[in-house]
Amino acid sequence: MGTLIGQELFKLVHKVGTWIAVGVMVVIQFAFIAGGLIYPKVFNQAGMITSDFVADSIIVFIMIASTASIIAMEFQYGTIRQLLYRQYYRSQVFISKLITLVIQLVCLHLIASLVTMVASLVAFPDFDWTAGDHLKNYALTQGGETLTLLLLLSAVLLLATLFKTNAAAIAVGFVGYFLVEIAGTILISLIQKWEWLKWLPFTMLMTSSQILTPGLKSMTKLDLPWMIGLTCAYTVLLTVISYLSFRRRAV
Amino acid sequence: MATILKVTGLKKAFGHHQVLRGVDFTVETGHIVGLVGPNGAGKSTIMKAVLGLIPTNAGTIEIDGQAVAITSHQALKQVGALIEYPGIYPFLTGMQHLTLFAKKKNRAEHIQRIVAGLGMGPYINAKAKSYSLGMKQKLGIAQALVNRPRLVILDEPMNGLDPQAVKDLRDLIQAEAKNGTSFLISSHILSELEKLADDVLVLNEGHIMQETSMTELETANGVLYTLHTVDDAAARTAITAAGLTLEAGPGLTVRQTTNATTLNRTLVAVVNAGINIQSIDQSHPDLESTFLQMVAQSKQKEA
Ligand SMILES: Nc1ncnc2c1ncn2[C@@H]1O[C@H](COP(=O)(O)OP(=O)(O)OP(=O)(O)O)[C@@H](O)[C@H]1O
Ligand SMILES: [Mg+2]
Repeated sequence: MGTLIGQELFKLVHKVGTWIAVGVMVVIQFAFIAGGLIYPKVFNQAGMITSDFVADSIIVFIMIASTASIIAMEFQYGTIRQLLYRQYYRSQVFISKLITLVIQLVCLHLIASLVTMVASLVAFPDFDWTAGDHLKNYALTQGGETLTLLLLLSAVLLLATLFKTNAAAIAVGFVGYFLVEIAGTILISLIQKWEWLKWLPFTMLMTSSQILTPGLKSMTKLDLPWMIGLTCAYTVLLTVISYLSFRRRAV
Repeated sequence: MATILKVTGLKKAFGHHQVLRGVDFTVETGHIVGLVGPNGAGKSTIMKAVLGLIPTNAGTIEIDGQAVAITSHQALKQVGALIEYPGIYPFLTGMQHLTLFAKKKNRAEHIQRIVAGLGMGPYINAKAKSYSLGMKQKLGIAQALVNRPRLVILDEPMNGLDPQAVKDLRDLIQAEAKNGTSFLISSHILSELEKLADDVLVLNEGHIMQETSMTELETANGVLYTLHTVDDAAARTAITAAGLTLEAGPGLTVRQTTNATTLNRTLVAVVNAGINIQSIDQSHPDLESTFLQMVAQSKQKEA
């Protein structure tokens, strides 16, 4: 298993795209830091810092692309047979890929947090982490967004595994992301009409918002623990379906 | 001698299309076994089944006595393979591919040996997306061989290789086989397989129609002698009258197999008829003619 994870990480770090993505993320962070310095009135300092200077959204895009390609690329490059004929179980191959994605996600967050911490100390020395709810908000934002991200990624993984192509999966990931951002209000109005709709996985894409704004409960009609539990359950369910489709597939 | 691969009663259907209808064969340790058969006969399918890549409908596959199936892969630790086309990550160099798949033990030495053996030195550190067809093919073969597995499965390994590379590959395979590695190789380049293989499996209509050693095949096929005379028509009558059988075709060709008197009796018959013999050609019927004959026979049976 260690060997398999090592091989997945080897492929990841030797892809130029991996590093371009990290570079773009940091550059955008710096752009927003600069923006915050030049136009302190326009940019909400506390909000920007707790969202890692927009790195959160960039991480979503990077992880959608990465998740879509980690299995689909093996089909695309014809390397899937080499990957699967060896002595390992398919479950091991599959799990090694999941672990690699988690490692990538953690690394991206570490880099983003590091830039945020340093920037907040150097560029915004007035910002006091210990004051008010800053640290708590930061943790809740990061935690909640990771939760919804994992759900989104499990859907992307399922599509990429089923269709063996990353294009469709990336498209769905992006659409899913904008669905939360834009169509959340539509979904909420639909839930007011047909309450059973709240059980659909789409509602769980609002978990992170509800963590930060508990008042959303009146809209989603779900208690926060239920939402968190369902988000995890849907993530696991979609991942298990991906595995089942991968397990016995002829390659 | 020990058996490294044993396939028994292997059946495989894609929907209603029954491709393998009970395939049985073995690969002995240190042997190079050629698998031949028409397009679509199921050669790649057999190989995928042996590698546990596809579900099968019936039969057993054992590598070194251990069963292989899509859900049990332990025995494949000993196996290296290239199926249909090489799997290449365009963003990695050839060297990185080999590093990725090579076991840690003696890694550098193993990689060095295979790179030298296949003459990949000049471009091994270039990104694989810049490789030509043959360069990719060599990298695929190198990936199959780098860990010095005990069983190597190669599907059409000569695809796209230049004559020098074909010879390098042949030398490499033969050297490995001497060290006890077993090979199962499918190829349509029968003349090449002839030079390489110890045993030949002929797959047709979902069965192994023939499983013989290369030497047996050669003896069974015998030697062909083609006579050129001043009057071929008269010679033909004389030869037939002497109770000898001519091969089909326009020429005066007789086949001498185990009965070493055939040529002599033919010559006596022609000379006695007073026909001048101008020349005699000798040739060995090869795998190709055996193959074509077999496919033609099975087509006739169908008709
Ligand atoms: N995934 C698949 N779905 C449906 N039919 C398949 C599939 N794979 C193979 N077949 C069928 O199985 C038969 C055998 O295919 P296979 O690739 O094993 O042939 P082959 O002997 O390797 O041929 P070739 O010499 O052309 O490489 C073919 O008739 C093919 O159409
Ligand atoms: Mg084939």
